[in-house]
Amino acid sequence: MTSLALFRGRTAVPLGLVAGLPLMLVAACVLTALYEPRFLRAANLMNVLRNASFLSVISAGQMMVMIVGGFDISVGAVVALTSVGTATALVFLAGWGLSGIGLLVLGCLAGLVPALLVGLCNGLLVSVGRISPFMVTIGTMSIASGLAAHFTGGSPIYGLPPFFLETLGNGRLAGVPGVVFFAAAVVLALWYLQCQSRGGRYFNAVGGNEKAARQTGIDTRTYICAAYVISALLAGLTGILLTARVGSGEATLGANLMLQSISVAVIAGVSLKGGVGKVQNIVLSSLFLSVLSNAMSLARIDSKYHVIVFGVVVLIAVWAEARGTRAEGSDA
Amino acid sequence: MPKSLEHTPIRQRDALLQLALPVITLGMFVGFGLVEPAMLSAANVANVLKQGALFFFLAAAQLVALITRGFDLSVGACVSLVSVVASMAMTTVTVAAGPIAGVAAGIATGLLVGAVIGAINGALVAYGKINPFVATLATMSIFGGLSTTISGGFPIFDLPRTFTFAFNEAWWLFLPAPVTMAVLVGMALHFVLSSTAPGRVLYLLGDSPAAAHAAGLRVRLHLCLAYVASGLLAALGGLLMTAQIGSGEPNLGTNLVLGSIAAAVVGGASLRGGKGTVLAPALGSLLVIGLSVGMNLLQINGQLQPVVIGAILILGAAFDLLRARTR
Repeated sequence: MTSLALFRGRTAVPLGLVAGLPLMLVAACVLTALYEPRFLRAANLMNVLRNASFLSVISAGQMMVMIVGGFDISVGAVVALTSVGTATALVFLAGWGLSGIGLLVLGCLAGLVPALLVGLCNGLLVSVGRISPFMVTIGTMSIASGLAAHFTGGSPIYGLPPFFLETLGNGRLAGVPGVVFFAAAVVLALWYLQCQSRGGRYFNAVGGNEKAARQTGIDTRTYICAAYVISALLAGLTGILLTARVGSGEATLGANLMLQSISVAVIAGVSLKGGVGKVQNIVLSSLFLSVLSNAMSLARIDSKYHVIVFGVVVLIAVWAEARGTRAEGSDA
Repeated sequence: MPKSLEHTPIRQRDALLQLALPVITLGMFVGFGLVEPAMLSAANVANVLKQGALFFFLAAAQLVALITRGFDLSVGACVSLVSVVASMAMTTVTVAAGPIAGVAAGIATGLLVGAVIGAINGALVAYGKINPFVATLATMSIFGGLSTTISGGFPIFDLPRTFTFAFNEAWWLFLPAPVTMAVLVGMALHFVLSSTAPGRVLYLLGDSPAAAHAAGLRVRLHLCLAYVASGLLAALGGLLMTAQIGSGEPNLGTNLVLGSIAAAVVGGASLRGGKGTVLAPALGSLLVIGLSVGMNLLQINGQLQPVVIGAILILGAAFDLLRARTR
């Protein structure tokens, strides 16, 4: 109970922005719907929901890394590497005569292996090697995207099994894209980890004050390493889902996702100093960015302007967070 | 004057570690030369020097930010925007008032753009108290987006011949123009960093912001100026690269950010701030460019080169850690 109170004290800080997040989301939806009624069409809403699902999954991983006080720059490259890996594995296994669920499960598991390796590499170098997370993940990003480009030789991998595309790519349950259920499962699992289990609290403790966490007997290295592995695996999952959606293994998939995942996390109030972050806010923040992006597309704003708008939104969000933490400093 | 300011960063380091990088760089050139003699031909050495000089400006821009315990991820976007805006100014003024005025206008606008980008980064980091990583990540997105929107995504052709000749093909003082520029700017930067008060303040700032504040220094102003210097250096690099390519390119700097950090850190700048001289970007960029040119000569797949750069980055950071521990 005491630890709960402790963390509540910490998380209460940058919520000035986060409390506004549901309001911002509602305002964005209402304004877009008023400007362009087509926003409310079922097909469009499903589109927004699908994009928000991709963003939530990858940003949830980014959040875990940021909670332990790091960054994961390599998520975009892991998406590309997983896309190439999964496509190669699926085509290879299909050549062996495998089909159906077996092919799907085996292919996806094989595709996740490179992601797991990148995550372990990041985690060990940061936790045991004590090298700056920024340098480590920027290095593995370069390596992973180079390998992905090398394996494809610059052209996408086609000929994926139709079953894979139909189920994971275009599959729907009760009219809702399957991706949404994957995202919901990931978010629920992380919510359980964060709010209902002791281990989840330890992540926050490690990020909030690593030295204190170690002295209370938490194996800080394990938790730091685990955060990077979770992030890489979730990026891998995003890679598989995107590959199924696009219909081919692409080495250029996910190029913008690194920036977007950090944007989502920052807007969700995840602290850059570590120790603070809630998966519920990641969902709201992903929805907000997806609605914003959809609104700009509906208003026929050139996609080149989108990155500018995202950059400005991120600046406003971090600025608000910096103000929040300064206010906390003056209270203490 | 506080005592810590009297030690030059060079003296603090182990002499052995000082020599390691030049030896590795030289060894790499000799190694490539043994396998492929063309590596050491006069034309190739001039080429490596020229590419290295262009890269030096970005690595130096990164160094200034790293000294203050910051980052500048927007150097690449700065190069792109400078390339586009300077080319537009140059072509417009050349039509109206001749090539000399055009080139002058282009360079002036290019440097102005660099200074403004640097000032915005500096204001966000120093006065807005925003984490430099996220601040420059956001400005990278914004200025990168601006350079593609302003140009419509297309290169800007028809630069005056005077510009490409004077800043790329000509030889100044027995060296290719970009190399001479890099040497001159490098010397000036070294003087500012090691022998003037604002330069020394940057090292103290990176070492301990609290100490700098307690010493009564204007921390925010100096931090902001460091990012302006970084923007200006990146703008110079952008102008010279534009002269080399011969057109204003909206994606000129997109892939240079990683390499610039790699070069500066491998050269001896520290992520924990307060360390690194001009030698860091100079040697670091020679190493990175030498490796890339060498791999091209050996016909190693271009797509594998990022893999090598990534490995160098991690090794450089590990080496940096080792240096900090042995001291």
